[in-house]
Amino acid sequence: MLYFSQYAKARLEYRLDFFSSVFASFLGTAAAFGFLLIVFSRVPAVHGWTFEEMVFLYGFSLIPLGIFNVLSWNLYLFSDRYLIEGRFDRVLVRPVNSIFQVLFEAFRLESLQESVTGIAAVVWASRKMGLSFSAPDVVLFVLWTFCGAAIYLAIFIGLTATSFWIEDRIGIVPPVFNLMQFGRYPLTIYDGWIRFTLSFVIPFAFASFYPVVHFLKRGEFAREFWAVPLIAAACLAIAWTIWDRGVRRYHSTGS
Amino acid sequence: MTEPIVRVERLTKVFRSYRREEGLRAALKSLVRRKSSEVAAVADVTFTIGRGEMVGYIGANGAGKSTTIKMLTGILTPTSGDVVGNGFVPWRDRTRYVATIGVVFGQRTQLWWDIAVVESFRLLKEIYGLSEAEYRERMALFDKVLGLGAYLHQPVRKLSLGERMRCDLAASLLHRPPLLFLDEPTIGLDIVAKANVREFLEEINRQEGTTVLLTTHDLADIETLCRRVIVIDHGKLLFDGALDELRDRILPITSIVFDVKRAPDARDLEWNGRPIREVGLHRYRLDLDRREAAPATAVKEIVNRFDVSDLKIEEPEIEAVVKRIYQEGIS
Ligand SMILES: Nc1ncnc2c1ncn2[C@@H]1O[C@H](COP(=O)(O)OP(=O)(O)O)[C@@H](O)[C@H]1O
Ligand SMILES: [Mg+2]
Repeated sequence: MLYFSQYAKARLEYRLDFFSSVFASFLGTAAAFGFLLIVFSRVPAVHGWTFEEMVFLYGFSLIPLGIFNVLSWNLYLFSDRYLIEGRFDRVLVRPVNSIFQVLFEAFRLESLQESVTGIAAVVWASRKMGLSFSAPDVVLFVLWTFCGAAIYLAIFIGLTATSFWIEDRIGIVPPVFNLMQFGRYPLTIYDGWIRFTLSFVIPFAFASFYPVVHFLKRGEFAREFWAVPLIAAACLAIAWTIWDRGVRRYHSTGS
Repeated sequence: MTEPIVRVERLTKVFRSYRREEGLRAALKSLVRRKSSEVAAVADVTFTIGRGEMVGYIGANGAGKSTTIKMLTGILTPTSGDVVGNGFVPWRDRTRYVATIGVVFGQRTQLWWDIAVVESFRLLKEIYGLSEAEYRERMALFDKVLGLGAYLHQPVRKLSLGERMRCDLAASLLHRPPLLFLDEPTIGLDIVAKANVREFLEEINRQEGTTVLLTTHDLADIETLCRRVIVIDHGKLLFDGALDELRDRILPITSIVFDVKRAPDARDLEWNGRPIREVGLHRYRLDLDRREAAPATAVKEIVNRFDVSDLKIEEPEIEAVVKRIYQEGIS
């Protein structure tokens, strides 16, 4: 870990740059909340969800998403940067797991503002709704947040690993990215098949919706709530396997 | 020989490449059934390397040198065959294995491009889990032998090729690996930098007993560093043995060149059925096959027969030897 902080330090020399990118990133997040505000200025509830509940859901999902966004930058660039340029050679001759190296070699620290904003939104919404959390609830909350980040990361790692097989850049990342956004709204507003996909095919709903329903004490989906760590572990295991297989297929570049 | 540090057995790597077709229809068709061609970059190569050896791995462009190195360093998984290095199977035990080796690719730096060299070294220190004391001792050595100190605070992208190569070499040896792989470590360097790199490698090999496998186009690297060479061509192993033996096998010719004070008699321009040719003003040359006659006997005879003012013995250049291999193979 020290290794990564070293790298971060080397990278963070331009403070001003950093603060302006945090600000830019924050504007994007604020705009999303603004959108919620506009929608709920016209209707009191959407599919049985009040404004505060929506803020809680959206805010909660921002916490794992922030962690994910900090680490995921290189995943988007993986094919170009590492496979086509052959930079993956260097990664493979270092005695650290290759996926860790890829994740930690570039990060967008500014995305951490999303997690902070998310926590603020959750706290605000809880106060407003008069929700109180016991100590075990808080522990669960933290653990489930990390599970959520793990689910996001695992899904995108698995997806990125397909570039070991598929050389041309094809458009599977954008649709999955959209699906991830869907997972941040109440699942009950969707058709059956989107619901099914978000729960069982690409289980984004376990990273935000199912945990939130429990924390809001709405009394639905208890089973799904407790399944979150299992889903996270399964996603990681699958992603790990795909990645490992991919690494074995890596064929470098002819020089 | 003690237990080898590297054992390579029937190593083979086949690359399958897909030809991209022009046009939409062809592209769609190729999704279903892609035309592919196969290249065996390395075919059935077997050798072992003993502890402390420095071995030159040579061959023409595209012979399969880099591909071999990439399999030996765990970057590529072979199509078939076995490799054991430092007791590990490179692609299977990769993280543990690569902690025990050093790798340099002359064509591409192993360091982080846009951070200062010293930051790269600090990162490597963490990656390899070196103590501060070990790290300092190592850096002091590199500074002494390679003169790293001068550009330690520059980012890699600002260094000259020679400086970068020195940094790469130092980086690959930071953790005292017993086994070092170098793919064209002197490519693009000027004469001074080349000499510097060679000296450093010699020093490391002598001081620490580091085993080295290196590929190169500069045969002077081989002549100064390696007693043993492995030659491959089109992926196949052509020769594995001492450099002198390679010379004897391919070009077993020794030339005796001498100057005379007085023009010799035409009848004397022959020795054991071999012609003595005039190659310059008062200068003559006799080409001998070393397998048939010892050069010393011929020299004695020449000195007796002619009024010799100067004489030297020339061995074939290794370039000529290798060129011959590329053209004709090994019989
Ligand atoms: N990553 C790769 N993908 C496809 N073909 C490759 C790749 N790397 C090398 N080759 C091919 O394999 C052969 C051997 O290449 P290489 O090992 O780089 O040779 P050398 O290092 O001896 O010049 C060449 O024909 C080359 O085109
Ligand atoms: Mg090469």
